[in-house]
Amino acid sequence: MGRIISGLRGWPGNIPYLARLIGSALFAISLALLIACQQPPTMQAYIARAALDKAAADQAAIYAEAQYRTAQGLFREGQMETARQKGRFALLRDFAAAESLFALTARTADLAGTQARSLRDELKAKAENEVADLAGALTVWREALDGSLTLYSAEKSWAAAKIDLETARLLLEGSEFVQAIEAAQNGRNSLDELSTVLEQYQNSEAQSIATWRRWVNETLAGAKNSGSTAIIIDKSAHRLHLVEGSRLVRSFPCDLGYNSATQKYFAGDGATPEGQYRVTGIKKNGSKFYKAFMLNYPNENDRKRFKRNKSKGIISQNARIGALIEIHGEGNQNRDWTDGCVALENGDMDALFRHVEVGTPVTIVRRSDRWPK
Amino acid sequence: MFKWSYLALAAIVLLVIVGCGKAPETEMGEADSAIMQAQNNQAEQYAPQSYQTAMDTLTAARAAAKEQDSKFALFRSYGKSKELFISSKRLADLAAQDALTAKEQMKQEVAAMHDETQGIIDLAAKAISTAPKGKGTKADIAMFKSDLESARTAFEQAKSDFENGDYISAKAKFTAVKAQAQGVIDQIQSAKQKRAGQ
Repeated sequence: MGRIISGLRGWPGNIPYLARLIGSALFAISLALLIACQQPPTMQAYIARAALDKAAADQAAIYAEAQYRTAQGLFREGQMETARQKGRFALLRDFAAAESLFALTARTADLAGTQARSLRDELKAKAENEVADLAGALTVWREALDGSLTLYSAEKSWAAAKIDLETARLLLEGSEFVQAIEAAQNGRNSLDELSTVLEQYQNSEAQSIATWRRWVNETLAGAKNSGSTAIIIDKSAHRLHLVEGSRLVRSFPCDLGYNSATQKYFAGDGATPEGQYRVTGIKKNGSKFYKAFMLNYPNENDRKRFKRNKSKGIISQNARIGALIEIHGEGNQNRDWTDGCVALENGDMDALFRHVEVGTPVTIVRRSDRWPK
Repeated sequence: MFKWSYLALAAIVLLVIVGCGKAPETEMGEADSAIMQAQNNQAEQYAPQSYQTAMDTLTAARAAAKEQDSKFALFRSYGKSKELFISSKRLADLAAQDALTAKEQMKQEVAAMHDETQGIIDLAAKAISTAPKGKGTKADIAMFKSDLESARTAFEQAKSDFENGDYISAKAKFTAVKAQAQGVIDQIQSAKQKRAGQ
């Protein structure tokens, strides 16, 4: 240091010495700059990190998971490459590969973010549509079920779809679009089950339509031939038709058993039986339901069917066939509520009383196309 | 003769230029890793406030570091940014932990909902068994039973979601099932009150 100072004191006389000093300094500066140039790609890492964070904010981890995970992987590789280069002698470092990795990270993360935003908006719209569609379908099915005979297997599917709709709505409110779509789809599946149940039901009906037609025709032919009164009950139309001779006298709305969609299988099943019966007794007083006509359920066919179903295991061995099926009053409740009887409004019972007597044929069918609904 | 003084001068200049103003890379890397862990723990969803605080601090740290990067090497000072990176790591670790805690809390919450929903289903079944009986009630009772059966099926689906770790779907489904079962209880209660009032 003393030589340096004394050399500086001797300037300008010591130009060669100063030249060497300046040259050394310049060499050192150049060397330092060369080393400084090989700085780790800090800025590129910032940019890559910021792009990843933005993608995360766009929920890319959910909506563009593969792309996002790729970007994360590239960032980690960039970090590892940077660390590798920093472990080398300063003059031998080359951060070009790390820079490329960070640049690729940023591009991939941006792409993931764009994909996620786009998909998220798409999913939101889809979830809203699915929920609205399911709600609409439930309303339509409810109207159809309310206008039909009560089929509990169909009602169960409808109730299941209703729970799915509520679930989908809650998930949509929470912006959980993927789960909301799944829940709405579950609801759709329940309604598909409902549709299948009804189709199977209608197919089974199709096999019996010829029988029901025959019963109705036989009853009408009998009434026409004898000029007497007959009753035909169309369950699906909820109508009791009063016939005299060949003429339809009147038609009354009626309520049925709460399990109205099926044939009667056993006591307590809530079904109104389907078959050809007769009035066996009349209660003008003393009925719990205003007035009543007693029917001869079970008839021969009912007994045969009951025995057959028991032997096949379709009904329990402990089941009883039942009895006490009547046409009575307290009806017109606009729903199927009886234990199997046919219920009319009291005034309509009074009207019926003027025409019906013991022995009047009563034919009950699931469906008849004989008269307009 | 080799001038050791020239070499010493060169070394001093070199050290001054290269040594001054190094970016806090270790702290940056640690902060980045901590944020990634928080993201993997779904901190944005389960601990949004903690996560946002960590992100805001990290953003400030990067801004401070970037500001120093733009200066000449001799004038750089990364002290402030280093402190901020250290803080953001700490906050990100906190957010990651908060997220795990919140997820566990959600799991407990949904587990409680499971028990509550089962309880309401049992109450609905009991209500059906004590529903007013009489003229025209069998139709209603049959419908209540049908609704309750649907609720039980949906309850099992919700339970399955819970067991698979999908707490969000399970929570929504338990809520819907509870509403269905409670509806049955309310209708029966209403029928009882109507019967009592007659």
